[in-house]
Amino acid sequence: MGLIPNFKNIATRSPWIYRINAGSCNGCDVEMATTALIPRYDIERLGCQYCGSPKHADIVLISGPLTVRVKDAVLRMYEEIPDPKVTVAVGVCPISGGIFRESYAVLAPIDQYIPIDVNVPGCPPRPQAIIAGVAKAIAIWRERL
Amino acid sequence: MNFLTIFARNLKQGPQTEAFPLGPAFTPERLRGRIEFNAATCEGCRICERVCPANAIRFAKTPDGMTFDCWHNTCVFCGNCEFYCPTDAIHQTNDWDLSHVNADKFDMVEHGLIPNQTCVECGATALNTAPMVKNAKPPLSTEEYAEVRARCPKCRAKYLKNRKVPA
Repeated sequence: MGLIPNFKNIATRSPWIYRINAGSCNGCDVEMATTALIPRYDIERLGCQYCGSPKHADIVLISGPLTVRVKDAVLRMYEEIPDPKVTVAVGVCPISGGIFRESYAVLAPIDQYIPIDVNVPGCPPRPQAIIAGVAKAIAIWRERL
Repeated sequence: MNFLTIFARNLKQGPQTEAFPLGPAFTPERLRGRIEFNAATCEGCRICERVCPANAIRFAKTPDGMTFDCWHNTCVFCGNCEFYCPTDAIHQTNDWDLSHVNADKFDMVEHGLIPNQTCVECGATALNTAPMVKNAKPPLSTEEYAEVRARCPKCRAKYLKNRKVPA
């Protein structure tokens, strides 16, 4: 019994991040890459790291308004991420559709298909705003674990 | 020896990483961020609703007056509304931290109300908007402005037409 809380403490230090591009224009993806990769913003201070496989992920960053064409792939990928997962919608597109709202090719808002936990509006949001959103997501993730 | 100068410089400067979220973040003064609306200076021309590319701004007529709503979750921070606003009633702040949990999604709204008023001249009910007197010559004094503002659009036009202009 004594081991389980210890494992929990160790595990909650480093959530891994996975990005899903649901038909984004690449603006938010560039900002997300900036957030993680350049030392000025350095999200690894929070223990986060980008991973290449959805099966290793804890926090999912979704950008893009969920176009009709990409919907199945996104939902399949989202299914592969193990629970407990926290979903962050980055940019205005997944939250409301942004400038693509009411388009026939777009299924936004994304929260009618995927449960979203944190929203980070912006077109694109600043790296600092993404960090603030991820910090909120980590707080939620620790409660869930 | 070049590496020694770089080493000394790096020791002096410290890390390039920003302190955020553990400390304050660098924010440029003119960063395009959250929209702010001032109902007191709004003319009610609704040009911001027309130029908004994301339809984030919406005016609606209610029994109390005209409401202004800007949903931050659709706003793309383009700044068209501020650019076209004739009275600077819309202002773009440099507040960028808009992240929120999904439950607050529909509370991220900038709300304003332009109230109804009764015209002091004819008694009709009209919106208490800021009068469009930018091009009035000579410019209106503060008392004249208040008098124009208390009237309905028709009486405003009459007032401005009959205004005594000193030669």
